Amino acid sequence: MITASIGPALSLSGLRKSFGHNEVLRGIDLSARDGDVISMIGASGSGKSTLLRCIPMLEIPDAGTIAVGEDSLSPKGGRLTRTEDAIARRMRGHLGFVFQNFNLWPHRTVLENVIEAPLFVQGRSRAEAVDEALALLEKVGLAEKRDAWPAHLSGGQQQRVAIARALAQHPRAILFDEPTSALDPELVGEVLKVIRRLAEEGRTMLIVTHEMGFAREVSSRVVFLHQGRIEEDGTPAEVFGAPKSERARAFLASHFDRNR
Amino acid sequence: MGDIGLLGFGPDGWGLVLFRAGLMTLAVSVAAFLCGLVLGTLVAWARVGGNRVMRALAEAYTVVLRGVPDILVIYLFYFGGRQVVAAIGTALGFAGPFDISGFVAGMLAIGLISGASQSEVLRGAYQAVPRGTIEAGRVVGMGRFTLFRRVIAPQAMVTALPAMGNQWQSVIKESALVSVTGLVETMRQVSVAAGTTQEHFLFYAAGAVIYLIITTLSDQVFRLAERRSLRGHQGAGY
Repeated sequence: MITASIGPALSLSGLRKSFGHNEVLRGIDLSARDGDVISMIGASGSGKSTLLRCIPMLEIPDAGTIAVGEDSLSPKGGRLTRTEDAIARRMRGHLGFVFQNFNLWPHRTVLENVIEAPLFVQGRSRAEAVDEALALLEKVGLAEKRDAWPAHLSGGQQQRVAIARALAQHPRAILFDEPTSALDPELVGEVLKVIRRLAEEGRTMLIVTHEMGFAREVSSRVVFLHQGRIEEDGTPAEVFGAPKSERARAFLASHFDRNR
Repeated sequence: MGDIGLLGFGPDGWGLVLFRAGLMTLAVSVAAFLCGLVLGTLVAWARVGGNRVMRALAEAYTVVLRGVPDILVIYLFYFGGRQVVAAIGTALGFAGPFDISGFVAGMLAIGLISGASQSEVLRGAYQAVPRGTIEAGRVVGMGRFTLFRRVIAPQAMVTALPAMGNQWQSVIKESALVSVTGLVETMRQVSVAAGTTQEHFLFYAAGAVIYLIITTLSDQVFRLAERRSLRGHQGAGY
């Protein structure tokens, strides 16, 4: 299922982004090989969500290059040109994105949410899309909810449907934007369990998260962001065990104090 | 008081002509509403996604139409329109007399009036679509058209439907103004009948009933559509 091609699955270089006078990303370089699970941690406002949203061009970076597989873009802020937009859409087709607030389409059932892009973007046949969607729903433990409306599901269930929807993209990499931050504490576990299984399958993932224990456990790499720059980049043991920067030490100390 | 037999469908009754007039009211209203829907959609789109010039034009249109009496717009189209058609016809070398039908003038005038308020409804409905669901569509690679058709329009419709029902009711009532062009719709027909028979109360009351029948029936249709469109947004029973 996972095709190892030449070159990184995903790479960002020199990424910059400002909102007004507020410079949120100040030159980010990051690349993920196939099978990497990279957790991005940092205080709110450190730029980690903006960084993630720049990859599928939900935010247009002011400078830098984003490459997904063989496609790459170097936008200069503002709007994308027609050609750039076509490339961006192709890049999105190779990514899965899971939002903090799930963002399921409320007017479509669970199954319809999962088959939407395969049918109306990728142009696959209905039979094939439905078969695959049912298998994906099975995988996230929601096969029996196929005909339910999103509004009737718990947050944890909605997020698991959103993950199935992302998997239906056949993504080269899946991006998670704080996937458990909008959930009640008792629902966090079921979503983390699904993500952990994806990690075990060798999926390439970028995860923005505040769940430090989880990040430590599933990641192959942990990246710490501070004020729009990457301050630490290493294995979980390195970043959590022996952070080099003062800021990372302070951040981790406050986090583990609060959680333990 | 009047002889109720005057409303019958027999040879001496006005029933059949009133029925036809009711159909004409319905026809001109439907045409005007659709005209307004097309215009309203375009204007809403211009205001939401257009460049500065388009936004300014759309803005000007709604401001003008809101500030001018409806009857004046109808006169403008009917009498003014006739003049324009005649001028163009003469310039092209055709021989008169030139005319513009009351139906077309009424449809355009009321469509133009309704389009202004429909555009407001549609713009509001668009803005009520949760941004996140639009991002979710973009992120799976949807283009503008697919995004509109599969994500935005179905959700906006749910918000817009009740207000669109009100717009439709207004169009039906405004259609009575088209009677000034001589178009034989309900209003025109009941006043002719009232004048001829001198049974004013009877025929104007009958006219009121015809309008009420049309508005009540269409209210039912809109309610049904609302219930269908609400699937998924509320309880499982829908």
